[in-house]
Amino acid sequence: MNLLVWTLVVPLLTATIGGLGGPRKFREATMVGGLSLTFGLCMATAGQFLRGTIPAAFGDALRVDGLSALVLVLCGFVGLLSSAYGVGYLRRNEARRLVTPRMRNEFYGLIPAYVFAMLLVSVSNNLGILWIAVELTTLASVFLITFHDRDTSLEAAWKFLVLGSLGLGFALLGTVLLFAAGQGQLGEGMSALHWTRFMEVAPKLHPYTLRLGVVFALIGYGTKAGLAPMHTWKPDAYREAPSPAGVLMAVGMLNGALYCVLRIHLISKASLGPAFSGDLLLTLGLLSVLIATPFILIQWNLKRLLAYSSIEHVGIMAVGVGLGAEAGVFGALLHMTYHSVAKPVAFFSAGTLAQLHSSSDFGRIGNGTFSRAPIASALFVLAALIITGSPPFGLFFSEMTILRAGFLGSHVTATSTFLAALIVLFCGFAFQVGRVVLGPPRDPAERRVPLPERFDVSTATAIVAAVLAVVSAFYLPAPLMALIRAATQVVWGTP
Amino acid sequence: MTNDVLILCAAGMLVSAYLMVGQKALFTAIRLYSAQSLFLGIVAITIAISESRHDLFVTAALTVSLKGILIPWFLMRVIDRIGIHREIEPFLNVPASLLICVGLTVVGYRVSTGFPEGARGVSHHLIGTALSMLLIGLFLMVTRKKAITQILALLTVENAVFLVAVGVTSGMPLVVELGIFFDVILAVLILGILVHRIVDRFESMDVSRLAKLKG
Repeated sequence: MNLLVWTLVVPLLTATIGGLGGPRKFREATMVGGLSLTFGLCMATAGQFLRGTIPAAFGDALRVDGLSALVLVLCGFVGLLSSAYGVGYLRRNEARRLVTPRMRNEFYGLIPAYVFAMLLVSVSNNLGILWIAVELTTLASVFLITFHDRDTSLEAAWKFLVLGSLGLGFALLGTVLLFAAGQGQLGEGMSALHWTRFMEVAPKLHPYTLRLGVVFALIGYGTKAGLAPMHTWKPDAYREAPSPAGVLMAVGMLNGALYCVLRIHLISKASLGPAFSGDLLLTLGLLSVLIATPFILIQWNLKRLLAYSSIEHVGIMAVGVGLGAEAGVFGALLHMTYHSVAKPVAFFSAGTLAQLHSSSDFGRIGNGTFSRAPIASALFVLAALIITGSPPFGLFFSEMTILRAGFLGSHVTATSTFLAALIVLFCGFAFQVGRVVLGPPRDPAERRVPLPERFDVSTATAIVAAVLAVVSAFYLPAPLMALIRAATQVVWGTP
Repeated sequence: MTNDVLILCAAGMLVSAYLMVGQKALFTAIRLYSAQSLFLGIVAITIAISESRHDLFVTAALTVSLKGILIPWFLMRVIDRIGIHREIEPFLNVPASLLICVGLTVVGYRVSTGFPEGARGVSHHLIGTALSMLLIGLFLMVTRKKAITQILALLTVENAVFLVAVGVTSGMPLVVELGIFFDVILAVLILGILVHRIVDRFESMDVSRLAKLKG
């Protein structure tokens, strides 16, 4: 079998073995081992692409170009981090006897399954397979959201599934309409839905049908990416999902959904010119950044804070692509990369704080966590600095690249609004983090004594993630940079 | 002849969506969904015969067996188990709802006028009907409180999409359709499980009670 197929088979096998049962050590080893191997295979597949052969399988239904390779590597990376943190996460809960056999099966089965579905998204060249894969990510994550089985997790899961299915209904209609726009041009059989086939016949697609299809598909996949105003499921889902699953949603799923959005944008661009879907992306992206701002200022929950931050970041990426300049596209893809490296640190440290206090609500965590959980608090401050785009970290550079592209181009008003929102966001985030981490500790008699912070697998994973996030600001490995450039070429390149 | 059957069936699907809006008994609403899926099956069979496209027979068989029989049976079983049979007063009363749906149908038809007529000359009717059903499904979703009605609204949207897929493009590639069927069944199963858990927890499947998470 070829390398690409193995990249997908390994996480699927990991999910099957992990979901079936067995002793704890065995399951932990299976999950971490399986997902390490998966990450290795992702890198090997990307390496194959960089050496000049396009990895493909099943008659080009799966095909890895620059964009796919970048998203694939980032998903594999986050999958590995999430599994390593997840082992520690579950151990902590086991120690407090909070884990039922059902939870174990769901955890060890669904996390690799979720990774599998995300990897499938990132290598789909067929719009039908792409839709099926996105639906699979949705279905795999529902029971991760209900993991803790609280009233609120049922609410979050219901909203997530209903809104997600509705979004996917739109995306499916979009796909069908794109297919209808190419009647008589696309040919017969499976290859008629290939993205590459669409790009070949793009100038001959029926414009009205295509326009409607693009709008439906962008709204549909935009719902999964969490672009405003279709973002409302995100804060609820992030609050309820255990942190290892949360990070998969915030990075893997976000990248995957953005990947779908970009594929649709590219078909539209090749056929209708850059303005139509570009302006739509710019509007949705700007709206996301603007909507996230007030909610970050008034936030009452640590993980919801991260959710709004992720709405902001997907907005930034959409703005970068929507600006219609090569530098903007490059900035957006650089942003995706840096965001994928930085977000895990935020999730892992926030997850640890939440776990120690048995809640992620600010009211329960209280002030001055630094005196109680120094490692997690320090990491959280670092993560907050990185994800709000402070210099000298990576997201600062990518945001500057996008802003520069914006001011040089024709969207000066939009870019100015965007810049203003980013500044307010930074202040809001700094306020919230300062309140939780620094602040005076509350009256010791009044405070619920949290669990002591211990050094374990999860802490180690969070530290490794933090080191990577800091190092990446100063040094991006050459192959990764080559992937970002290749992806830029796919998104910007001549049709 | 073929075109008459197609338009008749599409109209039947739209009418069943309207009846669903005017309906409070959940069993009847599920039967209406079943009828809607059967109409969709007839559309697929008609096109399969008139254009001799054999893979559409598979689509038709799956539509009738899964959406016409299996999913309605599963939803009825869920209702029986939890013993809640009627939709409570919707956010909007029935006459007003129907009036809004008429407006939505006009919008759907207006949008469909820009489409090319296609080989059969009925594409724009089918797309108009499908877009109307899609909007009615969305409307049902936001105005109804019962979890089961929301599932039916989702399924109506999904039927609308399939009407376009079958009626206008003569079906997507078979592998893709099989995958979509599989995903839809899985989604309905998971939704069913969630409804069970919601009823166990809240002793009601009134989703307007799910409103703790805000801000």
